[in-house]
Amino acid sequence: MQFNFIPNDLPLPIPTGGLEAVDVVLTVLLVVAWLVHILFINVLLGASTGSVYFNKRGARENNPVFDRVAYLLTTPVTICENMGALWGVAPLLLISVMFTPLFYAAAIMNSPQWLHIIYGNIAAFLLSYLYKYTWHKLEHRKSLHLAIGTAAVALFLTLPLVFMATVQLYMTPTTWTLNTHFWDALFRADTFFRLVHFYLASFAVTGLFMMIYGTAKRKSDDEVTRQAGDVLVNTGKSWFLLPTVLNLFAGPLVLFHFPSYGIENFFNAGWYWLIILGVVSILGAAYLTIKDFFNPDLSKGKLWSIVGLAFITVLSMATLRHGMRLSLTSEAMAQSKAQSDDFVARSKAASEEAKNAQKAAAVATLSPAEVALEKNGCLACHSADQKLVGPAYKDVAQKGYSDEQIVALIYAPKPENWPDFIPMPPQPQLPKEDAAIIAKWINGLK
Amino acid sequence: MFDFPIFSMPLFGHRFIFAFDAIVHVFVSHAAVGGSIVLAFAQYFAIKNNDKKFDELTYKVLFTLFILATAVGALTGIGIWVHVNIINPAAIGALLRVFFWKWFVEWIVFNVEMILLLMFFLTWKSKPIGTPAKAGHFKLVVGYAVASWLTMAIITAILGFQMTPGNWLASEFPAKPDYVASLMNPSWIPSLGFRTFFAILWASAGAMVLTWFFTKDDAETRQKGIRFFGKFLYASVIPLLVFGYWYYLQFPQAAKDLFSVGAVTRRFAVDPQLAVQITLGLVALAVVSSAYLFFRPTKAPMLAAIGLLVASGTLIGEFERVREFVRKPYIIYGYMYANGIRVQDMPLINKEGYLKQAVFLPDELRKITPENKVKVGEQLYLFECRYCHTVNGINSVKTRVKGWDEATIYHRIGQLNSPATPYMPPFAGTDEERAALAAYLVTLNADSKH
Repeated sequence: MQFNFIPNDLPLPIPTGGLEAVDVVLTVLLVVAWLVHILFINVLLGASTGSVYFNKRGARENNPVFDRVAYLLTTPVTICENMGALWGVAPLLLISVMFTPLFYAAAIMNSPQWLHIIYGNIAAFLLSYLYKYTWHKLEHRKSLHLAIGTAAVALFLTLPLVFMATVQLYMTPTTWTLNTHFWDALFRADTFFRLVHFYLASFAVTGLFMMIYGTAKRKSDDEVTRQAGDVLVNTGKSWFLLPTVLNLFAGPLVLFHFPSYGIENFFNAGWYWLIILGVVSILGAAYLTIKDFFNPDLSKGKLWSIVGLAFITVLSMATLRHGMRLSLTSEAMAQSKAQSDDFVARSKAASEEAKNAQKAAAVATLSPAEVALEKNGCLACHSADQKLVGPAYKDVAQKGYSDEQIVALIYAPKPENWPDFIPMPPQPQLPKEDAAIIAKWINGLK
Repeated sequence: MFDFPIFSMPLFGHRFIFAFDAIVHVFVSHAAVGGSIVLAFAQYFAIKNNDKKFDELTYKVLFTLFILATAVGALTGIGIWVHVNIINPAAIGALLRVFFWKWFVEWIVFNVEMILLLMFFLTWKSKPIGTPAKAGHFKLVVGYAVASWLTMAIITAILGFQMTPGNWLASEFPAKPDYVASLMNPSWIPSLGFRTFFAILWASAGAMVLTWFFTKDDAETRQKGIRFFGKFLYASVIPLLVFGYWYYLQFPQAAKDLFSVGAVTRRFAVDPQLAVQITLGLVALAVVSSAYLFFRPTKAPMLAAIGLLVASGTLIGEFERVREFVRKPYIIYGYMYANGIRVQDMPLINKEGYLKQAVFLPDELRKITPENKVKVGEQLYLFECRYCHTVNGINSVKTRVKGWDEATIYHRIGQLNSPATPYMPPFAGTDEERAALAAYLVTLNADSKH
């Protein structure tokens, strides 16, 4: 593969201490931290949507149990938004260090939209807090309360658009042009199908979470909360099942929209075994859920079997995702490294050459006046015989000032004397003795 | 640097969008670190005296802090990093590689901090004062305070490194960092002490103001709360000054020389006295308004509360602005210029040219011709100048070159890092490229000439 635009790798080593083992640790950290992050985000999106949905149903049907379900769901939202953001930092840190040239380039191409992950997130956080902490205050102004909740959910749902566009872009440097921007990346088929797969998975994971959360709430001392637990378990089953089945179709579409060289590397390296493992175990989880779909008492053993099987799927997906990343980026990273090594070698040669030239050059002997002019920054605007920002010194000399007058003019210039020039600012920082030397030197140019 | 694609921010400029995020983060994160410490003491005080009303007041302060710290503080913190990653990828990339494991430790500590804060905040109502469970609950805020201070300690090392990297570069070609030396850089400890006490001072000021708002019809709790937090404010002044002076001593001389230029606006370079006067005015406002609140808590008007917040907030903003400014022309002192070019690569770029190193550049602009000269100049402006300048917005380059002819601009480009503008990095590139940049810059005012 030849890539048209690949930035150099940074001329600083990746901090592994040169140890292969540390490289492996970084990879494991990347896969695990990313998985935890995604699980938090899945539940954040699903639970905040679920909260608004049940809040609305509770108000419409005047049903306190649905209202309780909705309120109970705000606690995982608070935890997941905070922990989700926090666990997003680790993969971002690792990707930035391990895939610097590709990831930074993609983030820049996607800017300023990339900043939405900060500002959009802050707005969504604040709205979701407002939704949670006005629950009782706005009890009788439900439409306002629902509007706040809906706005928060809508904002949260826009954040994956930006992430996915950047992630897809950095993994596919073959698609880069000089004019690739956010919208190009967002409206690509590969980005689209990954988003579909991601949103569906969010609801499936939330379904599992609801089954666990509901089972715990069934043991509450409060009657309404116990009933809310039942609702959560039942809703969880269908939230888990439906998106899971749909994702069996979305998944292959995601895979086959990657550039063909990446798919080829992926299959050659044997990563497809993880697809088979993931599909088999999720089918097992779906089967167990269907079997007990109408059974209101989902036993603990069955619940954890479903969750366990689904976790195997999630783990194999997280790992094969890394497989696809390597399949797509290894060659680009190698090219980046080669460019960088070449640059450093050329820079080293040029630097040595410059040092030798400096040694060889005779030390120029400057007059005290030239030293003073240089030291005080006068030469940025003036030269002895050329009109620049300010007049040439020899033209100043023609004015026939005394030395003292020139010194005074350095500290308090009179722009009216030089109407064709940019006014000179006063130079209070210039030492008196330097001013005297300069004035004498100027008058010597006559 | 030269090989990344370009994001340019018209009118506002890079510095502005970065500063916006960063200053919000500074306000909230210091309030969170200082606040965690002050709140831990406040809880201790409430539990010891079994003071229900004071406990309620602490909860209200905590609630405000929780919302701000989690929604705004944490995200703008990540934001600093995300902004720099699109504005100056070379710099943040270098910092990440040198400080990766420290950052990773910081992330783990931040986890502890966040989990303890969530537990402390979300279980407050279920562990009321006067019950044995409250003592266990108190341990959470102590842990939270320790963890939040530790995150500050690590991040401060990175900021210190940018200003005073010390002997961190074990080898230049290829660049090899000395990881211990970079952490133990000279300004780390003094700046950490300085920031610790300014965080406590700022959080106490904030808590005083919040107390004022939360106790409108409870004069007794107002007096108790304002006096309690006020003591922390006054106690942190002396250590703040001591650490501040020690910190100042670590700055390179060139940076010290830029102090008055760095204060708020470049215009103060001409009148350094004005910067000093404004700073003293703000200090006086902080002293008067805090004293009013402290000694007359029940009578103090809202103006005193707002005055204290504005004065201390502006002082903090001024400090951060000066600190960022005086580091110029570098972003990592002595290693990398503000525009992402490494000092050690200057000879190569001056010899071979900048265009030769650029990756994201149309082929027709790789060789300078009379026809494409202006276009190439524009590219060079984007490559090297956009970090600090905009064309016609904040710090506009158009105004800088107004009234200059092409030869003058050409001359001035060669003098960027001269004592007239010591905070600017030198132009990097061949003589031909310098001429192309001048040819572009002179077109900016072409319309206003006649």
